[in-house]
Amino acid sequence: MALLQIAEPGQSTVPHEHRLAAGIDLGTTNSLIASVQSGDPRTLADEQGRDILPSVVSYQADNKVVGYAAQAFSIDDASNTITSAKRLIGRSLADIKSKYPSLPYQFCGDENHPEIMTRQGAVNPVQVAAEILKSLNHRAEATLGGELTGVVITVPAHFDDAQRQSTKDAAKIAGINVLRLLNEPTAAAVAYGLDSGQEGVIAVYDLGGGTFDISILRLNKGVFEVLSTGGDSALGGDDFDVVLVDYIIAQAGLVRPLSPSLERQLMQKACFAKEQLTDHEYADITITLDNDQPWQQRISKAQFNELITGLVNKTLRACRRSLKDASISVDEVIEVVMVGGSTRVPLVRSEVEKHFNKKPLTSIDPDKVVAIGAAIQADILAGNKPDSDMLLLDVLPLSLGLETMGGLVEKVIARNTTIPVAKAQEFTTFKDGQTAMAVHVLQGERELVDDCRSLARFELRGIPAMTAGAAHIRVTFKVDADGLLSVSAMEKSSGVESSIEVKPSFGLDDSQISQMIKDSMSNAADDMQARMLKEQQVEAVRVIESVKAALVADSRLLNSEEILAIESTIKSLSDVSQGDDIKAIEQALKAISDSTDIFAERRMDSSISQALAGQAVDKI
Amino acid sequence: MNYFQLFGIEASFDVDIQQLSSSYQTLQKSVHPDKFVHASEQDQRIAVQKSAHINDAYQTLKNPLLRAEYILIERGIDMPNEQHTFGDTSFLMHQMELREMLEDVKSSGDVDAALLEVQNVLSSEYLQLSQMMRAQIIENTAASNSAACDNLRKLKFYQKLNIEVDRLEDSLFDD
Repeated sequence: MALLQIAEPGQSTVPHEHRLAAGIDLGTTNSLIASVQSGDPRTLADEQGRDILPSVVSYQADNKVVGYAAQAFSIDDASNTITSAKRLIGRSLADIKSKYPSLPYQFCGDENHPEIMTRQGAVNPVQVAAEILKSLNHRAEATLGGELTGVVITVPAHFDDAQRQSTKDAAKIAGINVLRLLNEPTAAAVAYGLDSGQEGVIAVYDLGGGTFDISILRLNKGVFEVLSTGGDSALGGDDFDVVLVDYIIAQAGLVRPLSPSLERQLMQKACFAKEQLTDHEYADITITLDNDQPWQQRISKAQFNELITGLVNKTLRACRRSLKDASISVDEVIEVVMVGGSTRVPLVRSEVEKHFNKKPLTSIDPDKVVAIGAAIQADILAGNKPDSDMLLLDVLPLSLGLETMGGLVEKVIARNTTIPVAKAQEFTTFKDGQTAMAVHVLQGERELVDDCRSLARFELRGIPAMTAGAAHIRVTFKVDADGLLSVSAMEKSSGVESSIEVKPSFGLDDSQISQMIKDSMSNAADDMQARMLKEQQVEAVRVIESVKAALVADSRLLNSEEILAIESTIKSLSDVSQGDDIKAIEQALKAISDSTDIFAERRMDSSISQALAGQAVDKI
Repeated sequence: MNYFQLFGIEASFDVDIQQLSSSYQTLQKSVHPDKFVHASEQDQRIAVQKSAHINDAYQTLKNPLLRAEYILIERGIDMPNEQHTFGDTSFLMHQMELREMLEDVKSSGDVDAALLEVQNVLSSEYLQLSQMMRAQIIENTAASNSAACDNLRKLKFYQKLNIEVDRLEDSLFDD
């Protein structure tokens, strides 16, 4: 056999190469991409020097337009120009219609999978997000001069499972490798925390265009431990515009329904007036009505503040709740970080300052801070900073549970539990001889099924017939570091593991995603095949590299027989990965994984005991 | 390896939270999935498992009621499940009184004062019970462990009541 290469202890066997990685802030109104270049995290600008990419996609006759160019179509071609798609992601039609009754789109698709009819056909909000991601990815590759290893994409902290999954699906459709989904307030904390090197409790108040998050974190020696998080997935700066639009409509004596273009115009004018009122005491609103008549009125800062007070108070209630969840008093908070363009609104700043009794931090541009934090995390995850001490410990934002008898929800994992997490709960049959069970997975804090968010349903079949209450069905919930849930179920006495087919209540299933990936490529079938082969080959190289490195480092954990067995699976994988037989590579990967399972677990256990041993030595 | 051994701390009801938390962070730095982004799928899967296990152990030892339950189960005490009928009728009667007191908050003249009073009563009774339980766990005899077990169940009633208090507080804020 070939001689194994041995690296210096503590060093990788692979020579250091800088891997290109980026952080993406996929915002409701605006999106940004940032990357660490020569140690400095910076947002990447387009060819015109603009950092921001408006989160707008316009479906024109023969092409798709993204960003500022799309924004230009938003008034005259409102029904084909999709703005704020993030608000629609992972939501039902009923949800959307009740929350945003005056959207200028024509909806199609079914109740739980709404789509928007454009002149290019039906478009899913996930596909809209994918277009924005593609555009940002393209910008990064052009600026950084190469393909990205992967990206960190930020999501609002209180995004539920369907919304997170949809965000990851969007990246998949765009052909982008996601290193991690990162919560927006955590990203902001990273951007600030690494600079100041401070230790203690901080609060991150994040008011974006469409979402509000509050997170309470403890910073200690590079560890960012999220203690609690809260917020509102349907409350943001856009809502300030909405109340202002309602006010204008009332003042101008207009009656809904209005034309799509007038609705858009009102939104834009309201948004402009809101921005004016940041630095001015008054703003003048001028509107061209559908009959081409102008209408004009002046609004004062005090009037505007009165309109939005209720919304701002709602955010403060969430702050109070999160502090309580974290068992932290207001005095213990050493810093308050402001994130999101809507924190420029003077009333927001003054009320937050009053609530926390200290001046909030605004030194990093609130529009860019999330992308910058994501870029720092992406750089570390890509492996460019092997010595970094930074670790982010985030939490599950909303409780997960199962439907039980009587339409009630039994909580399995409580909100604010640190992720990753795995929890099992046992259930039993209701009737004699019952052989199947419907499992309904829900997310939310309320007791009734109807008040929670339905995530998925599946059926557990093949339960041996027993008397009612005799079967023990163990349902296991696993939440990974992206905050994404997977569920499995098993009947304990028989060991029947159900063939679970989880049907997501919202969002896309796997076949729809692969269809969309195909649709987005020109030579669909061939490209798909080539892409899969390439992915498998990359995985093969990665696995071989990592198993070899593991053998070098820890062969003491194995006996000689085990070593031989592993080496032989390495050889077969290495041989087969040169060819183009995807199936064979898959099998060889599976074989190597099976043969190294115990080894991998022993290594992890050994590193756990070493970690603390090292600490004990440090203390002496 | 039990949870105390996992964190390298003394197996006792009185936990040094500082030390626990520092061990926790050290362990997570070695197994968290973020450290395995470029590893094989297998390593990633195991990292998620280990990291989840350490999170669970940390939550258990950090929270006094979960910690008490864990210690008692480790000692082989048979923990009756929550549906099991609870024999202490005078305790149950008192719980009902407390619930009524909580119900009455909404209709009282000074809601804030009424709510504060309920919270004060609950927290002082909780404190008393938990001190008793602590002493019983430390004593560690068959009789004291069984008594601790009863007190733990009582404390869980208070925990549920506190959730009700939070709900009530939220509903008052929402007005």
